[in-house]
Amino acid sequence: MADDLGRWAEPGLLILASLADGEKHGYAITADVAEQVGVRLGPGTLYAALGRLEALGLIEGRPAEGRRRPYRLTAAGATELTAQSRRMHRLATLSLGRLGTVQA
Amino acid sequence: MSQDPRLVRVLVGCYPARWRRVHGDEYSQLLCDLQVHRHPALVLDSLRGAARARLVPGGLTMSTRSPMTVAVWAAALFTVAGLGFQKLSEELLTVANGIRTLLAIAAAVALLALVVAAVPTAVALVRGRDHRAWWYVAVPFVACAAWLVLVQVALAVADGHGVHATQTRLAAAAVALGGLGAVAATAWAASTVLRRVPAEQPPGLRRTALAVLAVGMGATTVLAVLWGLLVHAHDPSAFTGDQGLVATPFVPSWLGTVALMAGAAVLAGVASRRQSATER
Repeated sequence: MADDLGRWAEPGLLILASLADGEKHGYAITADVAEQVGVRLGPGTLYAALGRLEALGLIEGRPAEGRRRPYRLTAAGATELTAQSRRMHRLATLSLGRLGTVQA
Repeated sequence: MSQDPRLVRVLVGCYPARWRRVHGDEYSQLLCDLQVHRHPALVLDSLRGAARARLVPGGLTMSTRSPMTVAVWAAALFTVAGLGFQKLSEELLTVANGIRTLLAIAAAVALLALVVAAVPTAVALVRGRDHRAWWYVAVPFVACAAWLVLVQVALAVADGHGVHATQTRLAAAAVALGGLGAVAATAWAASTVLRRVPAEQPPGLRRTALAVLAVGMGATTVLAVLWGLLVHAHDPSAFTGDQGLVATPFVPSWLGTVALMAGAAVLAGVASRRQSATER
């Protein structure tokens, strides 16, 4: 599972991060990801990733509000996002530290 | 959904029906919110998503290509290959008879496994869970009857002509194509019934049955290769002669048959893998 979500720009990881502060429907996820990360998720990409995450049990669909269905993070999704974020944080710290050494 | 712009309806319509039943409304709303008509890149992304939903297994809500559908089409291909092998080997009965027997057993086990996998659906059908599905049961019988009529016509056309005559070859081709059509119609009907009749599946039944199907087809393929090599060793004149299908050279007929069996085995492997993923 970790390998599936390990790439930084992987839509699944972006969606998990977007849902970390509460449930969102499809458009809210794309808007949030675009605003916070600068990545524009296309509708096909978004729903392919939503389906994958739902099948993995990392997110779950909530009852629809009109035609918009919110999704929220599950406990397993929160655990996965935490693990991935720590891994990326370690990598970022390492990279910035070494770059700083090189530039100094 | 009918109020949505035409482009939105078209884009949603590109997704499989099963996917649309689950996500259709919310996806239409998203496309409207994104004003997809103003962004060609989003249109392309949606089309890519639809293609992915059709081609890539992604669980029950993301794909219409169920393991049983793939398994049924694998069996159809395997049946065609089996008929070809039977025709090919019927004039070489004295060569590698043991291998032929083993091959027949492996093929029977494979197809029997598929039958076992379909038993819950057959029981549900008999219990009347879906009366309309009975129409599909008639398809193989009608297809076989039509093929038998075609065979009679072909025999009449080829009557009195030599084995290499154009009339004979055309008649043989018509019989072969008709047979392919009958097998395809049967596979289509079977996969439709398996898809639409609601049936409770005992845990692990389909997973085990489809694994046996894949292994059986793989074994059959290997045995068909061995059989051809034994023909080459024991009867070189037959191997290099024109004892292939419809009096054509042997080697292309043998390799073609093996390729069809291998293709069926690969499809069965895909079905088995998808079934395992579904039950995990």
